[in-house]
Amino acid sequence: MATPLLGQRVKRKEDPRLIQGRGHYVDDIQLPGMLHMAFTRSLHAHARIGSIRVAAAKAAPGVVAVYTGQDIQGQLGWVPCAAGIEGLKVPRHSCLAIDKVCYVGEPVAAVVAASGYAARDAADLIEVDYEPLPAVVNPEKALAKESPVIHEELGDNVAFVAKLAGGDCASLEADKTLKVIKARFINQRLAPVSMETRGVVANYSPGEDLLTVWSSTQVPHILKTQLAIMNSLDEARCRVIAPEVGGGFGSKLNVYGEEGMACLASRRLGRPVKWIEGRRENLQATIHGRDQINELEVYVRPDGKVVGLKCSIIADLGAYHQLLTPAIPTLTALMILGCYNIPNVFVQTTGVFTNKMATDAYRGAGRPEATYIIERVMDLVAHELNMDPVDVRMKNFPSPDDFPLALPTGVTYDTANYQRSLKKVLKAAGYSRLRKEQERLRKKGKYLGIGLSTYVEICAMGPSSRMPAGGWEFGEVRIDPTGKVTVLSGTSPHGQGEETSFAQIVADGLGIPYDDVTVYHGDTFQVPMGIGTFGSRTTAVGGTAIYQAMGRLKKKMARIAAHQLGVKPGELVFRDRRIETEDGQKSIGFAEVVAEAIFAKQLPPGIDPGLHEHSVFEPSNYTFPFGAHVAVVEVDGETGEIRLRNYYAVDDCGRVLNPMLVDGQIHGGVAQAVGQALWEELVYDENGQLITGSLMDYAVPKAHQFCWFETQNTETRTPVNPLGVKGVGEAGTIGATPAVVNAVVDALKPFGVRHIDMPLKPEKIWRILKQGVRN
Amino acid sequence: MKLDGSYTIPAPREVVWQQLMNPETLAKSLPGCERMQPNPDGSYQAELKVGIGAVKGSYQARIEILNPVSPERYRMKVEGKGAGGFVNGEGLLTLTENGSAQTLITYSGEAQVGGVVASVGQRLLQAAARQIVSQFFQAFAKQVQAVAFPPPSTDPLIPSSPR
Repeated sequence: MATPLLGQRVKRKEDPRLIQGRGHYVDDIQLPGMLHMAFTRSLHAHARIGSIRVAAAKAAPGVVAVYTGQDIQGQLGWVPCAAGIEGLKVPRHSCLAIDKVCYVGEPVAAVVAASGYAARDAADLIEVDYEPLPAVVNPEKALAKESPVIHEELGDNVAFVAKLAGGDCASLEADKTLKVIKARFINQRLAPVSMETRGVVANYSPGEDLLTVWSSTQVPHILKTQLAIMNSLDEARCRVIAPEVGGGFGSKLNVYGEEGMACLASRRLGRPVKWIEGRRENLQATIHGRDQINELEVYVRPDGKVVGLKCSIIADLGAYHQLLTPAIPTLTALMILGCYNIPNVFVQTTGVFTNKMATDAYRGAGRPEATYIIERVMDLVAHELNMDPVDVRMKNFPSPDDFPLALPTGVTYDTANYQRSLKKVLKAAGYSRLRKEQERLRKKGKYLGIGLSTYVEICAMGPSSRMPAGGWEFGEVRIDPTGKVTVLSGTSPHGQGEETSFAQIVADGLGIPYDDVTVYHGDTFQVPMGIGTFGSRTTAVGGTAIYQAMGRLKKKMARIAAHQLGVKPGELVFRDRRIETEDGQKSIGFAEVVAEAIFAKQLPPGIDPGLHEHSVFEPSNYTFPFGAHVAVVEVDGETGEIRLRNYYAVDDCGRVLNPMLVDGQIHGGVAQAVGQALWEELVYDENGQLITGSLMDYAVPKAHQFCWFETQNTETRTPVNPLGVKGVGEAGTIGATPAVVNAVVDALKPFGVRHIDMPLKPEKIWRILKQGVRN
Repeated sequence: MKLDGSYTIPAPREVVWQQLMNPETLAKSLPGCERMQPNPDGSYQAELKVGIGAVKGSYQARIEILNPVSPERYRMKVEGKGAGGFVNGEGLLTLTENGSAQTLITYSGEAQVGGVVASVGQRLLQAAARQIVSQFFQAFAKQVQAVAFPPPSTDPLIPSSPR
C-alpha cells in the first residue's frame, strides 16, 4: 500500500473476464425479437446501377425486409466526413449506393431476416444489373486529364490540394554547395484487421422513442451525435454503447453506412436489428490505411546537415470520405521533419479519389508515413555521403535545450532528448559489435542488416482548435457512500487497458486500494460527454481529465477533513485510506470523510453534500513522444526471405504509469509495423477488384515470425498535462517500419541497393539477389 | 487474367470445326455445364456449376460466337454471373491442320473476374482456369472422336461402321 501505484506493473483489471471468454462483445448481445441484417455488395469497382431485382430475396424464408438505395433516399443522412480542409470536395456518400457504385464491396442492398444465415442467403439472391464503367485504380493515373471521373459532379478526381511551407526551399536550388538527393517512396495500402470485425445492434423502442445502439466503436459519443443526425432524432433519443471492443487500430474511429442502416431498419420495423461484419467484408469495406506516393527532394550540406526537404504526397483516398479520410495525409505533412530541425520545408499533399475503399486512420494515421519518409531519407543521406546512419542523425538532432522547439512545419515539440534514446538503444543493441559482425559475415557471403529509426510522433490529440470535433476529454470521479470509487471516462478503449491505468491514477491520488476503483466508459447515457480513443490520447487527455476531477474531489474532501481535524486543508495528505497531516498526528479515515460528505451532518459552510466531480481537460498542445529503434535482419541469400533476428526499442512516452501496458503497446505496435515492412499489402487489380480479400491472401504476421522485442524506456515528461504523460498507443507502429526497411536495405548494400519499396517480400528480395549476383 | 495455350485434337479440321460450332457438343464438353440453350439472337445461354478452390457456385453464362471464319477461327465472348461474382471473357480460337488427321486448336484471350472469386480465389484462379480449359478440351476431344470414329455398335441390328 505504501508504494505508489503509478509506475507499477499492475495487472490489468480487464484480463480475467477477457481471457476467460466472459466479456461481452456486440455479437454476444441477444435481444428478444432480434432480426439480422446482411448486405449485397458491389461486385464492380465502378458501374452504374440498372435495375435491382429483390423479389426472390423478399420471398426467401425468414426475410422481413429488403432495402435498396432508392428505398432509403432522403430518409437516412449521408455517411459523415468531419475533416476540415480548405476547398475539400466531399462527395455524397449514401449508406446504400443509389445510382452508381464506386468501389468493390460498396453496400447496394440490405436484407433483414430472422437469422443471420437467412439474411446472408437472401442477400445473395438479389440481382443487380450493372453497367460497368472504366475503373480508376492508380492515383497518379486518376490525376490525368483523360482519366474517368469518379464523382462527375465534382469535376475531377482531386479531393484537395494542401500546401505546407516553412523557411524558403526555393532559395536552396541556387546553392551549388548543396547535394540534392531525390527519392520516390510508395507507402502501400494496409488493412487494419482488428480481431473483432465491426458489428452493430440497433434497437428502436417506439414507445419510448429511444434508439439504443451497441456498436464496436472507438467513439461512442461522436457516433451518437452522427446517428442522431442521420436518423433525424434528438440526441436525447439516442444512446450508443460500446461494449467490449476487440481492437480497432483506428478503423472503428468512424461512422459507417452499415451502422446507419441498422438504425433505419430498426426504426422502420420496431425491432432490434443486428449486423456482424464478416472477415471478407472487413477487408473490403472497413477503412484501409496508408496508401501514399511520396516524391522527395532533399538538400544536404557536405557534412551531412540536411537543410531542406521538398515532398509531394499523393494520397489515395479511395472512392468516398469516411470520418477523417482527407485529414490523415495532412498529418504526414505536419510530421515530415521527424526529429530533425530542418529549416526549409515544402510539402504539397494531393488527395485523390480512386475506385477503392476509403483510407482513414490506421494505427499511426499519417505519422508512420512521415516517419518512413524522413527515416529513409536519413539513411539515403548516409548512403550518399558514405556516413554512418548514426552520425547523420546525431548531426541533425536538435539539442535537448532547444525545447520547446517550434518547427517550420508550424508545430511546437514539447520536450525531447533524442540523443539519449539513440545512445541507449545503440548500447542495448551493441551497435559497433553488430557492425563488425556484419563485416565478417559479408566476407562469407551472408547478409546481415542493421537498421535505425529515430522517430517522433504527434500524440495526445489534441488542442480543440486543431481537431474537427474538439480535442478535449471528459472525466468524472464519484465516491459512493460505501467509500468505493466510480470513474467515468469519455474515452472508449478497445484493448488499451484504461480500466487499469485510470484506476491506478485515482487509487494513487486518493490513497485507497486499487481494487476500490471501478472505471466505466463507452455508454453515452452513463458518461455525459466524450470524444473517444484514438491518436494516443486516452491517458494524456482522458487520464488528465480524471486526474483533474480527482483533484477537485480531493480539495473538497480535504476541506471536510480539515473542518473535522481543526487544521488547514493544505496541510493534509491522502494515504493508506486516511486523510492526515504529513506527520500523521492529526488523522481521519477516508471512509469517515466520505460518510460525512454524503450524510452531510457537519459539513463546513459553503460545501455541498456529495462527492462527485467532473472535469473537461483541454490540452494546450499535442505531445511529442519519441524513441529510437534498431532492427537486425538476416537475408537468406537463397530464398530472399528476411528473418528479423533482433529488435531493440527505446521509447520515451513521457511519464510511464504502468510499464506493462507501455510494453504491450510497443510490442503490438512493432508487430504491425514489421507487418507493413515485410508482408502486408492490399492489392487491387487494374479493374479495381480487391485480390487480397481473405486472410489467406492478406499476410497478417504470426507470432512465430518475430523475435523477442527488447524494450526499454527513457522518461522525458511533458509540461502539456499535469501527469507528464505523452501517449504510446501508436509509437511502435510509427517507429518500427523504417527500422526494418533500413535494415534490409543495409543488408543489401553490397548489391548496390539504395531503396526497395515495401512490403519486402521474399520474391522481391530474391530477384534483387539474383540480379546482383549476375552483375 | 490472360489465358492462352493450344490443344491437339486427333480429328480432321472440318470435323473439329463442326463440333466446335455444335452447342450440344460444347454443352457436353464444358465442365459443370448443366444446361445450354440457344437465344433468339444466336448466342447461347448456359448454366454452369464451377468451383474455384472453396468458392463453388452456379453461374448463368451468355456465350456468343463472333466473326466465325470456317473452318479456321472464331471469337468467343462469355459473360457469366452468379452469387460468387462475375466472369467476363473474350478469346480467339484458331484451328490449324496438323496433317490430315490432327487439328491444333490455339486459343488466347483475357478474362475479367469479379466478386468473391476475385478476392478469395485469386491465387488459384489462373491454375483453376487452366484446369477448366484442359478439362474442356479433353472432353471435347472425346466428343469429337465419338463423332469422327464411332465405336463399333453392339446392337446387332445396326451396321457396325457407318462409313
